[in-house]
Amino acid sequence: MNDEVRVTVTVNGRRREARVEPRRLLVDFLRHDLGLTGTHIGCEQGVCGACTVLLDGRTARSCLHFAVAVDGSDIRTVEDLASLDELHPIQEMFHRKHALQCGFCTPGFLLTTVELLERTAEPDEGAIREALMNNVCRCTGYANIVDAVAEAAVELRRRKPA
Amino acid sequence: MSSDTQGAVGQSVLRREDEYLLRGQGRFVDDLPTPLNTLHLAFVLSPYAHARISEIDASEALALDGVVDVLTGADLAAMVKPIAAQIELPGYSFNTRDVLAADEVRFAGEAVAVVVAESQYLAEDGAELVQVDYEPLPVVTDIAEATDPAAPQVNPTVPGNVYFEGRFATEGVAAGFEAAAHVIAEDFNSNRVTAVPIEPRGCLAVPEQPANLVFYSSTQIHHLLRTALAEFLDVAESTLRVVVPDVGGGFGIKAALYPEEFVCAALALRLRRPVKWIQDRYGALLTDVHARDNHYRVEAAIDDDGIVLALRAEIRTNGGAYSALPFGCTLETTGGARMIVGPYRITEYEYTATAVATHTAPVLAYRGVAQPVCFMAIEGIMDRIARRLGLDPAEVRLRNMVPTAELPWTNIVGVRYDTGSFVESLELAMEMAGYDEFRASQAQGRLVDGKYRGIGICSFTEVSGTGAPGWRARGLTRLPGFDSGTVKVEPTGKVTAFVSHAHSGQGHFTTFAQVVADALGAQLEDVTVVEGDTAAGPYGTNTFASRSAVTGGGALIRASEKARLKLARIAAFMLESTPEDIVVSDGRMHVAGVPSRALSFQEVAETAYAMNTSDLPEGESFGVEETDFYDPPLVTMANATHIAQVAVDAADGTVDIEGYVVVHDCGRVINPMIVDGQVMGGVAQGIGEALMEEFVYDPDGGVRTATLMDYLLPSSVDVPNYQIAHIESPSIDTVGGFKGVGEGGLIGAVAALVNAVADALSDLGVNVNTKPLRPALLSRLIREAGG
Repeated sequence: MNDEVRVTVTVNGRRREARVEPRRLLVDFLRHDLGLTGTHIGCEQGVCGACTVLLDGRTARSCLHFAVAVDGSDIRTVEDLASLDELHPIQEMFHRKHALQCGFCTPGFLLTTVELLERTAEPDEGAIREALMNNVCRCTGYANIVDAVAEAAVELRRRKPA
Repeated sequence: MSSDTQGAVGQSVLRREDEYLLRGQGRFVDDLPTPLNTLHLAFVLSPYAHARISEIDASEALALDGVVDVLTGADLAAMVKPIAAQIELPGYSFNTRDVLAADEVRFAGEAVAVVVAESQYLAEDGAELVQVDYEPLPVVTDIAEATDPAAPQVNPTVPGNVYFEGRFATEGVAAGFEAAAHVIAEDFNSNRVTAVPIEPRGCLAVPEQPANLVFYSSTQIHHLLRTALAEFLDVAESTLRVVVPDVGGGFGIKAALYPEEFVCAALALRLRRPVKWIQDRYGALLTDVHARDNHYRVEAAIDDDGIVLALRAEIRTNGGAYSALPFGCTLETTGGARMIVGPYRITEYEYTATAVATHTAPVLAYRGVAQPVCFMAIEGIMDRIARRLGLDPAEVRLRNMVPTAELPWTNIVGVRYDTGSFVESLELAMEMAGYDEFRASQAQGRLVDGKYRGIGICSFTEVSGTGAPGWRARGLTRLPGFDSGTVKVEPTGKVTAFVSHAHSGQGHFTTFAQVVADALGAQLEDVTVVEGDTAAGPYGTNTFASRSAVTGGGALIRASEKARLKLARIAAFMLESTPEDIVVSDGRMHVAGVPSRALSFQEVAETAYAMNTSDLPEGESFGVEETDFYDPPLVTMANATHIAQVAVDAADGTVDIEGYVVVHDCGRVINPMIVDGQVMGGVAQGIGEALMEEFVYDPDGGVRTATLMDYLLPSSVDVPNYQIAHIESPSIDTVGGFKGVGEGGLIGAVAALVNAVADALSDLGVNVNTKPLRPALLSRLIREAGG
């Protein structure tokens, strides 16, 4: 369409340029223009957190941002966490602790956890529950997610050079 | 021949579905690659609960560049027959639904038009431009008001707004009430809720040869959906293929057949282009099937020891505006009436069970179906008996329970409890919860730190794995009960297992592989599970009502045993032994007592596929691919006890869950980690249902809870840490000994929490007989009681 505008962002370390309608949601841009379908849409009401990405290092709901409004930003999605051979320690702990069932909300929880553990190396259970309270999971009942985050914190501290 | 592979079943094997989901590589329906010429749909939803559609003007929408068409009820009526649930119950009022309302809308959210456009954004633009003139009509949303003679008629073929009324009575009920030392009576009211899987519904219909249509849907019931599409679109079933991609939670609401699926498939066939529809959350809340919205009046005749002599239940359920497919508006009605007797020795029982029509969303299956409410009622009665007689609530339950020594027991409505642990699960849960210590120190009615503390029990039976006789008993004569499995040993000796289920997070790829590995004698890592595709494997009843372990597990065990026998016959021929002497283990076969005379699965399979120089035994067919079916008994009954400990804040009415114990018995456990996950997830949903969630209609039928800011879901700070234990009483009536576990978490949590809050406030004289127990309600009750 004629009123498309240029947007340039860095997504998972790669510079991406596109022309999009001003009203195009960031989540649709990521999913349908860039093919990064790991970021999911659960409500488009800013409540469920399934669409959570890291926007300049901070969690953001990609359903509440227009793609053009984040021009120049650095965006990180779930696809960036693992290497080809190895899961990220947070992902690995979600696996070991059975912290996902249907897996639809999981990408949002993973990125929320990345932010938490970058800020707080040793969160207690209360801090973990507080950090996760804006992501909704309907399958797990949360306990295993809380455990997985706590174990991931231990693993990340273990790996970090003293 | 024997198998000495025993090991995969019973282990907490980590899930194989995790890695791709964790990498963001899940393929949910909106993640599937779509052909470039895909059309997108947006539905125009009625804001009115009851109105005549006088005119629909689509000219502005059609003028929009990229809008391909706008269709209304009359247009769709030419492509899709009116859809209807097939219920055969005496007195059931048959009713149909147009996939788009043609003349009249009957609930807020009912679709009146569909916009077809080149993109999702354009379809939604178009939907906003469709002008619909409605003439509002009188509305009824409430169960009690629905049968008032002055109430507006909801559905022309449902006289007096009564879909169905069922009655049952044993001979001695009146005598039981005459002989009673006490009669305990209570009304119980339940909120209307809905499942809210985080993935909304969606479908993608792709015209493709050699089938006419490949239909991807976020459904739990792919075979039933395919049959229904064929029936209501009047196309050959054999030309349809339904595929279930990853599904982001179902919980029963995706085990319904929805108008959007028929519209999407019909338009793809008509327009000869791929057509996609993805629901938004507003549409999900308004149009996904709802649940509960029940009223129970229960009376128990008891003697001086608290023994129930007779029970009466008057059950009224709100079926909504249409009887939804495939289970119909009587699902909760007959369910509650048949399940309320639970683990108790109820020998005289009478019920009246009524399903009414209202101008609300259709009600169908959500995790637990009826059981959260009927156990809130019977377990609430047990607590009231205790309070009346000055007994402990646990003691009242123990006095009324069917003891394990008396199992198998057939309950008063004819359901057989083959094995179980009603008493043991209660006793273990009490021990884990520190129940006696809590009671000894409980400061009922007195504030401690500004809080009233209480403890609540729910001991219950959990219906699972229902067979054809079980559905027939509830009028669902067109619903099969069986599922199927096909086990194929490939030329390389690896194993592909097809099963007629479809997952929405349960971990089937892992658990069914565990079942097949043991039954076939294969190595776990060599077994791959395929499901959710009508082109892969034979028919089945699919995945709802805690079926998959029982029906899928049973079918796969049978198919695996047939495949193992065939491998043994071929191996015996190759090893110059007899099939009876072949031992199968870990993907290898050897002659009993002579481990050196052995063959791998691959060596035997190569013979089966004529890929070596060995001959097949005389009369043996090529390949190793065996299918079998399994229809479980009437129902497969699991059981559990939940105990919740709560603190109710006297000032603001908030409820803190300070302890939570579950003792569950689902027979033979396939994967304890996954079973625990089912239990915990269910409890969290039960916490939502008991304390937070409520779908609210205004008196005029408008929707107050159209976003997740209004319909409150539990988050990580609303749920406790759970203590879980298992008792395994393997079923003696099912193949494999499995019982279901999908719903018990939710069922038990509702009554345990309601009873715990009631216990906390009992000394204040507060009667807790409704849910959800939100802070506003509890603080008012406390204030009114002078607390």
